[in-house]
Amino acid sequence: MSATLEAPPVLDETALRCAGMQKFLGEGAARIQALRGVDLELMPGEIHAVVGPSGCGKSSLLYILGLLDRPDAGTLWVQGGEVSTWTDEELSHRRNASLGFIFQFHFLLQDFTAAENIMIPMRRLGGWSERDMRERAVSLLEAVGLGDKANRSSRALSGGEQQRVAIARALANDPAVILADEPTGNLDSANSERVFDLMRRLTHTERKALLLVTHNPAIANSCDVVHTMRDGLIVNEQRRG
Amino acid sequence: MLPALHIALRFTVSRKRSLALSLAGVVFGVAFFILTQAQTQGFERYFIQTILGTSGSIIISDRYQSRYTSFGENLEGAEDSKSLFQARKPDANRGSASQAKRKYYEGITNAAEIMRVARQFSNVLACAPVVHGNASIRSNFTAEIANLQGIELDMQLAATALRQQVIGGSLEDFRINPSGVILGSLLADKLQLGVGDTVQLTGADPRPRTFTVSAVFRSGNNIIDERRAYVDLRVAQALLKKPALVTQIIVALRDPDRAPALSAHFERLFGHRARAWQERERGNLQIFSTLRLSAGITVSLIILLAGFLIFNTLTMAVMEKVREIAILRSMGYRRGDISLVFLGQGFVVAALGSLGGAACGALFTYLVSLIPVKVTGFFYTERFVVSWNWAHYAAAAVIAFVAVLGASWLPARRAAHLAPVDTLRGSGQ
Repeated sequence: MSATLEAPPVLDETALRCAGMQKFLGEGAARIQALRGVDLELMPGEIHAVVGPSGCGKSSLLYILGLLDRPDAGTLWVQGGEVSTWTDEELSHRRNASLGFIFQFHFLLQDFTAAENIMIPMRRLGGWSERDMRERAVSLLEAVGLGDKANRSSRALSGGEQQRVAIARALANDPAVILADEPTGNLDSANSERVFDLMRRLTHTERKALLLVTHNPAIANSCDVVHTMRDGLIVNEQRRG
Repeated sequence: MLPALHIALRFTVSRKRSLALSLAGVVFGVAFFILTQAQTQGFERYFIQTILGTSGSIIISDRYQSRYTSFGENLEGAEDSKSLFQARKPDANRGSASQAKRKYYEGITNAAEIMRVARQFSNVLACAPVVHGNASIRSNFTAEIANLQGIELDMQLAATALRQQVIGGSLEDFRINPSGVILGSLLADKLQLGVGDTVQLTGADPRPRTFTVSAVFRSGNNIIDERRAYVDLRVAQALLKKPALVTQIIVALRDPDRAPALSAHFERLFGHRARAWQERERGNLQIFSTLRLSAGITVSLIILLAGFLIFNTLTMAVMEKVREIAILRSMGYRRGDISLVFLGQGFVVAALGSLGGAACGALFTYLVSLIPVKVTGFFYTERFVVSWNWAHYAAAAVIAFVAVLGASWLPARRAAHLAPVDTLRGSGQ
């Protein structure tokens, strides 16, 4: 269970790519098509925003790109590797090694401290000593401005602090791609701006590919590429200089 | 440490209340299992000690001779006339058809030779010849029928626990006085005799002989204590009119558990009946085994109940931790890891419960061993007899682990198969 797999091979500079992505949700009469053929490409160092009304398929796309769900049709490549034939074990390993998730409701493990939360994905990846894991967790916490709260229980952190810990956790295994589902949706405007600035800085300096789903127009307009979704399709893609 | 076990430990510790409840169930289940086994096996072993102390591991008695097979019985398959009149070999399997045809002759005429050969076996500790028969024993108060046993004192002391069983008088008096008698404690009570009193014994020889009570013994077995009287071997042979005859040889073994195999071998070797203590006391031993099994099953139910508690606790934990499960899956934890997180919690409860239960079980066993209780009949004791056996602790731990991990398996499996995306979709939008 703790066996460490080889680092996933990087077959392509493209961090993440999907083509003709389709997804159905529900059963019988309640069955709807959440994605109707989505094409998307994320390159390292780019920040992509996906915007659109509720129910347009943003989160479904995010979960498929994050290997948490399987598409009904279409092809997905992660760092050049085509994922359709991967086993659950391989998908899990890729999630652990190459992908970082940030959710709207931070989802920290409440029984652990801030630093321990960041060490959880590192433990799974293996190959780290306890000391190395702790040092990296503290340095990531320092990067998000919480270096002095490493030993604080996640319960004792404010909402903004918890979300920053979640960002640090998403970066724990130095992933190529960060997927964020409304990461600032639960924060006030000051914290929201602070968190986004942090994500933008890390993406550019660390050459990560960041895809975030957001309802916040200000955040969307600060991204390199904005994809507008409607009824399961990307209807508009806007690149900013 | 496995990453999943690290999380399991933290989850377990964070649920102190439910952990304490589940743990208490396992601790008490394990402790009571150990306690009941210690008591039942304690009494069983004490009973075995008593019977080994009075009658040895093996009793060699009557000589047997297989009857010749009748002509008609062996017609089928007979290849030549010689085989028809060949005596069947003695069969070690008791109760077989060939054994039923054995003819027995009372006593042992070559006891010294049999004992000499028997002592060559490494497992044989000592042998003692005995001649026994019924005799009338009369005191000034009343008369009783006694089971008179003629013994060679030193051999008897080496092969039995007679020295430890003496509760009054002196074995030295018996050794130097050919008219000395050692009486069972209940027989002495019935006859109202004490050490130094005189008594008359009448056996097959109608002339009564007067003896002095040299000692009184208590084996703890009422059947023995109310009937048995020991006198010198040659005196008994004269009283019972069995000159130069020994009716049985008591064989004490270093490893009494190996008595059945050795008795079967002795039977073939000596042509005399040889019975191991396990065969002689089969009925009583079965009662003890049944009691132990019954107590074990009853107390195991407590551990099973603790298993249900674990099942409930972990099922609730899975429901409460559904979000954590989803986030762990999103971070790359496999289904097996998630399963291990919950099985790990069961493992922690089983391990702590077994350790705590073993400690409590040992403490309870010690306290029970201090309780004064007078038991007579099968054996004599004035306190609870307990057995200290690591196997009880191991068995209790195995039952605890099987029950708890079995109960943890279903919730763990359910947790492993939760679809993380369903949880995330429900919480994230």
